[in-house]
Amino acid sequence: MSERAPGPLLRVEGVSKHYGGVRALEDVQFACRAGSIHALLGENGAGKSTFIKILSGVVQPDTGKIELGGRPMAFATPGEASAAGVSCIFQELSLLPDLSVADNICITAPPRRFGLIDKAGQRRLASEMLARIGGEDIHPDAPVGELPLSRQQMVEIAKALARNPKVLILDEATSALTAGDVAKVFALLKRLREEGMAIIYISHRMNEIAELADDCTVFRNGRYIETFRAGTKTDNEIVEMMIGREYSSAFPPLGDTMRAGSPALSVKNLSWAGELKDITLSVSPGEVVGLGGLDGQGQRQFLLALFGALIGVGGEIEIAGKPVKIGSPKQAKSPELGLALIPEDRKNEGLMLPMTVRENLSFAALDTVSRFGRVDRAKENELIDEIVRRLAIKADGVDGPVAALSGGNQQKVVIGKWLMTRPRIVLLNDPTRGIDVGTKQEIYQLLRQLAAEGTAILFYSTDYDELIGCCDRVAVFYDGTITRMLQGAELTEHNLVGAALNIGTPATEQKEAAL
Amino acid sequence: MMTSKTLAKIDPAVLIAFGCIVLLLGIGSIAKPGFLSAAYLVQQLQTASFLGIIASGVMLVMLMGQIDLSIPWVIAMGGMMATGAEGILGHTLGQPLAIPFGICCGLLAGLVNGVGVAYLRAPSMIFTLGMNAVAQGLMVWHTGGFAPQDAATPLMVALASGHLIPDVPNPLLIWIVLGGVIVWMLTRSRLGRQIYAIGNKERAVFLSGVDSRKVTVLVFAISGACAAAGGVLLSGWASRSYQAMGDPYLLPTIAAIVLGGTNVLGGRGSYLGTIAGVILITLLQSILSVLQPQDYFAQLGVKLPDDVFRQVVFGLVIIVMMMLYGRERVIR
Repeated sequence: MSERAPGPLLRVEGVSKHYGGVRALEDVQFACRAGSIHALLGENGAGKSTFIKILSGVVQPDTGKIELGGRPMAFATPGEASAAGVSCIFQELSLLPDLSVADNICITAPPRRFGLIDKAGQRRLASEMLARIGGEDIHPDAPVGELPLSRQQMVEIAKALARNPKVLILDEATSALTAGDVAKVFALLKRLREEGMAIIYISHRMNEIAELADDCTVFRNGRYIETFRAGTKTDNEIVEMMIGREYSSAFPPLGDTMRAGSPALSVKNLSWAGELKDITLSVSPGEVVGLGGLDGQGQRQFLLALFGALIGVGGEIEIAGKPVKIGSPKQAKSPELGLALIPEDRKNEGLMLPMTVRENLSFAALDTVSRFGRVDRAKENELIDEIVRRLAIKADGVDGPVAALSGGNQQKVVIGKWLMTRPRIVLLNDPTRGIDVGTKQEIYQLLRQLAAEGTAILFYSTDYDELIGCCDRVAVFYDGTITRMLQGAELTEHNLVGAALNIGTPATEQKEAAL
Repeated sequence: MMTSKTLAKIDPAVLIAFGCIVLLLGIGSIAKPGFLSAAYLVQQLQTASFLGIIASGVMLVMLMGQIDLSIPWVIAMGGMMATGAEGILGHTLGQPLAIPFGICCGLLAGLVNGVGVAYLRAPSMIFTLGMNAVAQGLMVWHTGGFAPQDAATPLMVALASGHLIPDVPNPLLIWIVLGGVIVWMLTRSRLGRQIYAIGNKERAVFLSGVDSRKVTVLVFAISGACAAAGGVLLSGWASRSYQAMGDPYLLPTIAAIVLGGTNVLGGRGSYLGTIAGVILITLLQSILSVLQPQDYFAQLGVKLPDDVFRQVVFGLVIIVMMMLYGRERVIR
């Protein structure tokens, strides 16, 4: 370490990135030393993923510069970044399931003999890499797709190391690992640090960061907030830094009282395929219940299960006090049940993009506007006019393709399509993702308006501000189940983040201390 | 103003197809004076009717992003079951029920296709190809087991070669009526919307609470029924049914639909385009046999049997046209 230059190995300055009109990163700076582990912290959507995509050459920044070992770098492809010594282990695995472990590990630069891939050499190299990270139990010839997820993650790490990186980036790389593997990976990371590698580590698990990190950097809303030595701040201070103090007052007032009476929807011990565990929840008419927690804790599956889109859902569901079985989305939207789901991926799940606004808007409610299989144009027009006016959908007539609309208006079409079925229970799966602020506010207002009319609403969002601003209560998901229900004064960003990370809240800590 | 707007709404592929029709007619009239007579054109439309009726069902299947490769032997099945109905159902029932029986057999084959694709999630390319082989086997068994009745009933002959309206051949009449029903279905009915939607994004259709599997089964059944109806008419036209009577129809059917601008991946296409494609293919086949292009090549020393040459040129022309279409789509 002493022979190295005192300056940082990797330095980033003034990097910005916009996707369309959405700001992902704004004037971000970052520096990390060789021989250190640098934790990158931030909420969902803080810009961490975009940042490491830029570092690893997956996307190009709009502005700013990156220096590696003092030399300016611009990576046009992941291949270039990898050749320059930046290796990344992404949250989503990047392995080819039908190829063997050895093939995967050596995929970027397989050892060659006479121009052909040297299978024996490749197997040797793979075994070496696996042994180095403590994955000796993985056979280099096994097809990756047949390994359990935790073993696949180990292969992913071996693959990143096979390129001999100077900078190694781990994006939530331990989230799928067993406790034993985590210990092995940690030992490996510490060893790599001794060898002089710079490691950028992203995790939502505070205890991991406390154990590993030398330095921490916090991002929030696409901006750089602060860099500090690990151990100089408490967990609470870090969480506060992650959520910031900016508060947008873009939200309409909540309904004055929660309606009494029987719940519109009540779920008992709902479970599905090991991804949903024992979920119990009820929603009253006129109530907006948020689903919080980190991304991917089962919130999406929960909504899909309620909508009848998943097979093999266990547990009991009651609608308006009557036990029901929801076998398909067709059943779910029937007037007896009155459910509607605004799906997460509007381009693939919500809309038929090349078809017209009209065809998309009336598609879910086609049964109500047709008689004997014939679409009643007059009735269809009437309902469509009403929806277009109510949601203020900005379109050049309803007979153009929905693909021509802006993202916000497309999302309004998806919502409008479901309002046409006159639902009594509305499930929303992250409806404001990638949408401009104006449309977001319109959607919040619409939700409160629907609630005031007596609709029960379940609202999943990755944006904590939204959950606090829009919801009467928030159910926080962790690992496929609801770990906390926040409401009233408890519903703060601090508590939401704390519950999402499943770390003790001040209240419980005090209780524990008292015991 | 109005016309340019209407023109802009029509798929360019449809315009190209109609342009090709005019081009072919031009080539024909230059090469053979007196080629463009009213009688010839009506005769071409009559020939096109058989293809048009068969293509109607397959087009619906392709709009959903699937394919039906079972049509050759479903055509034969339709024809052979209609002519053989008397032998199977008995004299009193068989004579009047010949046509519905033939069509119902095709419908049944289509139903099985639909169940296989929608519920068993088999790729339609393989499943319908298998159905083609099954239908072939059944028909061979049908002719081998006992001497079947292969003569068309008088009604079938009348439907295929008579004139209910003077100068308008009956098959053309049937095609016009069927085409009208399909255009109505595609543009005005719930089923039509659902067919296009499935071709565009089946996942969105499922999450919209529409039973896409039921629609898929129904459309495959329609395709089987249309192919069998084509077979019934073809055997009426020839006064008898025979094995392999549907074999020459697979390529022309799919080529006509695709040349008419229906997207092979589903979701886009108009029946007007399919009409244009069907007429285009029929004219191409006719002109190849009228012009005898093999004679020119024979002078150059390339000697091939007439039908072989026609087949090769027909195939090549379709391949070239497809390449032109593919390019046009990339540019857009």
